[in-house]
Amino acid sequence: MAKEYAHPEMLVDTAWVEQHQNDPAVRIVESDEDVLLYQQGHIPGAVKIDWHVDLQDQIVRDYIDKDRFAELCSSKGIGNDTTVVFYGDKNNWWACYAFWVFKLYGHANCRIMNGGRKRWELDNRPWSRDPEPQYPRTQYIAKDPDPSIRAFRDEVIKHQRAGKPLVDVRSTGEFTGEMLHMPDYPQEGALRGGHIPGACSVPWSRAANDDGTFKSAKELEKIYAGEAGLKRRAPVIAYCRIGERSSHTWFVLQYLLGFPKVKNYDGSWTEWGNTVGVPIEKGAGQPVPSAATASAEALRSGS
Amino acid sequence: MSDTLAQRLDSISAEFADLEPRERLELLLEFAEKLAPLPSQYQAERDAGLNRVHECQTPVFLWVTTDNDRVQIFAHVAPEAPTVKGFVSVLVDLLAGAKPEEVLALDPNLVQRFGLAESLGMVRMRGLQAIAHSIRKRVAQAAAA
Repeated sequence: MAKEYAHPEMLVDTAWVEQHQNDPAVRIVESDEDVLLYQQGHIPGAVKIDWHVDLQDQIVRDYIDKDRFAELCSSKGIGNDTTVVFYGDKNNWWACYAFWVFKLYGHANCRIMNGGRKRWELDNRPWSRDPEPQYPRTQYIAKDPDPSIRAFRDEVIKHQRAGKPLVDVRSTGEFTGEMLHMPDYPQEGALRGGHIPGACSVPWSRAANDDGTFKSAKELEKIYAGEAGLKRRAPVIAYCRIGERSSHTWFVLQYLLGFPKVKNYDGSWTEWGNTVGVPIEKGAGQPVPSAATASAEALRSGS
Repeated sequence: MSDTLAQRLDSISAEFADLEPRERLELLLEFAEKLAPLPSQYQAERDAGLNRVHECQTPVFLWVTTDNDRVQIFAHVAPEAPTVKGFVSVLVDLLAGAKPEEVLALDPNLVQRFGLAESLGMVRMRGLQAIAHSIRKRVAQAAAA
């Protein structure tokens, strides 16, 4: 059983952030689900990076490309050597997502402020309502996307067929396929409910304490290695609905438990559950046999 | 209140749309902060999880009444969701005192008019649209009851 996080240096606490809020080598970045929380109050000196508006391409379903990522960093005063500390709402869910995108483009020094907005509030640290600060522009150079942390659909199909481990981090209702999303909320939509066959279910928020901080190494080990039976050396793919909650689990597996081969499948259920012919499992049962198996075969060989 | 509801919608949506994107968010935050607290007679129902808008991931609770043929909306939105709270507040303000048929005659996609897409992104826009649809549905139900 692990007593310590594998990479404890990836986390900083709120006191550290308060001490470094004027440190030119550090840039504090807020990333939230709710786009107004930054305006409502943010850590003094922090900049805002929004997952929808800043990190997602608005036309293609993909992240911004390398050049736009470089431009984003340059405009926020983030240089290649800057230590970027992410924090946000909802147990740092979106902070981990932004962290993952920064890692995708090879940013070296990324940290998460443990506990996010909630811990900052509980520690009675000050909020600022000043407009977003402007820092001197940098000449950021982004790297090519790192394929070792991002899984695409065809790779996930192969992974699943080979019986390799998948972690579904959505709620239990979404995993079993019982939860039907309402037609008025189409971004929740997938045409089939259930999960990728063989995936284990570990809802993402189980990794967090009530104050938004991560659970201890021992508790995390018990959940992921114990209950879910994940093997440290095996390649693991985590997914959710659009790849946001699973970037939180990706962070936990990769940095807190030190699993060496973890990928986030950002296509996630909105891709899998809408893809023609891929196999699906409902409840705790076996894969649903249908023409799907043959179609998936065709899809695989065509890729 | 001499203006028609449609005119008032034009006016508030234009007020948003004419602002710079950053100012639109500030105005939305102002609305979030002035949403009236939920009247005490509804608090027990909220605490029991009743009248929640299930289409929305954010906890949003709505009560719609149509006494004397006039719409009133009472809402509770979690303080950690100011975007949704701000938009609900805009709608509560706009629709209060209108006749149910006026509300039902409004453009169902009215959220598109506020110029928020650029600042919020598509996914959040759909969430707000779901709330507008949900209010419409509740107005129709209350008027039919």
